[in-house]
Amino acid sequence: MRLRRALLALSLGFAALGSQRGEAAVPALYTAAQAHTGHATYEQKCAMCHGKHEQGMVGPALKGPIFASKKANYKVEDIYLFMSVNMPAYAPGSLTPKQYVDIMAFLLRQNGFPAGQSALTSKLASSSTVPLLYHGPKAVQASPGVAATCPPAATGSVSNPSSHCKQSP
Amino acid sequence: MTMFARLLRNASAWHVPCRIVACDGLPVGYRTCRARQQYSGEYSTMKVNQTKHRLSRLWLGVSLAVALAPATAALAAGYPQVTNARLAAAQNDNGWLMFRRDYAGRSYAPFKQINTANVNTLHEVWSYQSHLKQGYESTPIVNGQYMFITTPKDHLIALNAVTGKVLWKYVKPMKGVGFKTVCCDVVNRGVALYGDNVYMATLDNYVVALNAMTGKVVWQRELKPADVGYAMTLAPMILKGMVIVGESGGEYGARDFIQALDAKTGALLWRRWTTAAPGHLGGNTWPKGMYKHGGGSAWLTGTYDASTNTLFWGVGNPSPWLAKLRPGLNLFTDSLLALDPSTGKIKWYYQYTPHDSWDYDGVNTPVLTSLSYHGKEYKAIVHADRNGWFYAINRVNGKLIYAEPFTRATSVEGFKDGLPYTNNALRPTMTKQIFTCPSFLGGKNWWPISVDPQTHMAYVPTMHTCMTMKGAPTFYHAGLPYLGESFEVVHDPADHSWGALQAINVDTGRQAWNHDSALPWDAGAMSTAGGLVFSGSARGHLYAFDAQTGKILWRSPKLSSGIIAPPSTFMVNGKQYVAILAGWGGGTPIWGGKMVPVVKSIPRGGHLYVFALR
Ligand code: HEC
Repeated sequence: MRLRRALLALSLGFAALGSQRGEAAVPALYTAAQAHTGHATYEQKCAMCHGKHEQGMVGPALKGPIFASKKANYKVEDIYLFMSVNMPAYAPGSLTPKQYVDIMAFLLRQNGFPAGQSALTSKLASSSTVPLLYHGPKAVQASPGVAATCPPAATGSVSNPSSHCKQSP
Repeated sequence: MTMFARLLRNASAWHVPCRIVACDGLPVGYRTCRARQQYSGEYSTMKVNQTKHRLSRLWLGVSLAVALAPATAALAAGYPQVTNARLAAAQNDNGWLMFRRDYAGRSYAPFKQINTANVNTLHEVWSYQSHLKQGYESTPIVNGQYMFITTPKDHLIALNAVTGKVLWKYVKPMKGVGFKTVCCDVVNRGVALYGDNVYMATLDNYVVALNAMTGKVVWQRELKPADVGYAMTLAPMILKGMVIVGESGGEYGARDFIQALDAKTGALLWRRWTTAAPGHLGGNTWPKGMYKHGGGSAWLTGTYDASTNTLFWGVGNPSPWLAKLRPGLNLFTDSLLALDPSTGKIKWYYQYTPHDSWDYDGVNTPVLTSLSYHGKEYKAIVHADRNGWFYAINRVNGKLIYAEPFTRATSVEGFKDGLPYTNNALRPTMTKQIFTCPSFLGGKNWWPISVDPQTHMAYVPTMHTCMTMKGAPTFYHAGLPYLGESFEVVHDPADHSWGALQAINVDTGRQAWNHDSALPWDAGAMSTAGGLVFSGSARGHLYAFDAQTGKILWRSPKLSSGIIAPPSTFMVNGKQYVAILAGWGGGTPIWGGKMVPVVKSIPRGGHLYVFALR
């Protein structure tokens, strides 16, 4: 049932994550390949401050219900515009637009946005008014080829996103 | 005697119950619950260390058994009340009662037991390790035999200052807090003391008062919600029964303020907004409405002059960073405020950097000292600013006495009629990238200076950097940075080292001696009547310099991390101790541009060390 509904939604370019609770459908804004590349760039350029699992270290968490909250009221464009101008902190704006777009795709994935068929572009990301809300752990998995290094106790706790890979930074 | 019996014997003599809950939550064997205490000399540090697992496990039983047992000789005097009189004379106290030791902010101690002749025999007495990996910026505060330190993310730990035994630990609950608007590491700079309370200001904008003996919360008050621009990292100040704090948020378009609360109850007394509203003094120095998101953070503890009853407090940079967006002087950003402490009313102000476009916060401690300049005596404030200039200001009337650059300083070009002027060619725009010095991290960042009345020198941790800077798009969104500039911190092309500790003669503003450091020097300074200056390096050594000449007289063994905190010193039972927190972090490894790779391999983690003579 659920699977069929999800497939249907996907074919429309949307995934129905969370729809069983009556929430609005979550748009697919990026491709899986973008998020995959973005993950590698994130690890290289961002993880040292935001944590290997985006859980926060000296910089804030970039995943989860506190980061992507109603209260924070971020739209995708807010985060994209901010980070592409101001991050990484030691060399703001130093990555290529493609690198920022891929990282944005990765962050969307980590916050439970589904991958889709059409690619995110710098133009789309910098004008997307889609609310950046945390949509659960569905997509929160390591990309193939990138080792998942959660501590043993935390692996498998995917059903509880906030404890996924949670650790004292 | 078995280990357990010895432990029990010692345990039954404890005055202050180590609350087992307070020490909970860490893996067994972790050293928080004192695996490394000194039991009346019966156990060497090594020996206890080897048995730490056993000890920690025993600890549970012992603590439960004797949690309420009374008193050692060691703590028999109980907790000495911190009174207004003691704070006013904090300079001569045996403890270290406030952030910079006394209201003058000098961080100068009158102790001579450790001195130029014997400092080379300093050795570690005890240490305490913390598991958090972010930066440690707190000064160990000491009253009687109680020591208080804070860690990243607002943990507060009370220890026995002689043995290192953990008395209690408080962890500020941070449920739902994202640490989003904390620019420069999730740090805390330590506590304040009053009566039998200890006070902490937190990253989620609480002021918390706890009982110093038990760690129980007496009151707490939230000044602003978390994650919308505001945060607090400073050590509170106690003055005349008030606890005074200041907010951070100059990178996020917060409108910042200095807040006085009743130290007994937490009731709000007065609030001094640091950006001027229309109709008030300075209100015409902002474009319409921009003061509402104008920054002006007040993120470092102020000082106080009893002779004129004046509270001094520094104010940080304007928001957004790009000055083009907010024509005007933007008062009172980057300024020294002289306040009436009973109302928060401004007596006078002095703006260090007018219409700042370079993030030159004016928060660095304004230190009270007397000095003689060109044959004239002054009651002065000396201040090493982020903009690279060392200021001496008449603290009675707010007039400049002199200003001298203490590193390469090109943004503020010079002074006319006692006021600074800037090089307007070095103001970035959306289309123009500029190169100027110092970088926004400052000729000196918050790392406090010390002023020694014997040598008439100020000991100034110094950073030698420049930066590129260019306008960039920005927008105000509560909780996101509001900068409007991109930048990169680079080397001062004319200097070979990133950092230094230098001595500046306060009677001239000129350098007296200099200790160069290949790595940045991000730690506070302390001087003593023993003729010494203490400060720690990024490599992780605590140094003792000859205060007069700068000669290195002692260097600690390499500590487990680099140092960004200021040291403190205190006397217990006639013995002088020196305390320092190691724990690399802070702003440099985040925003440091070309410095970031240089400091990347510095090990992380907090470690408090206490030294004394052999
Ligand atoms: C050297 C440390 C550091 C690095 C590297 C770094 N950041 Fe940050 N980041 C921070 C800090 C500190 C903040 C806190 C806000 C501020 O002052 O900018 C932050 C804030 C953010 C925010 C805003 C979060 C919020 O909820 O307010 C985003 C998004 C972000 N960073 C993304 C990135 C991305 C993407 C990268 C890699 C390209 C990156 N950062 C690299 C330190 C860093």
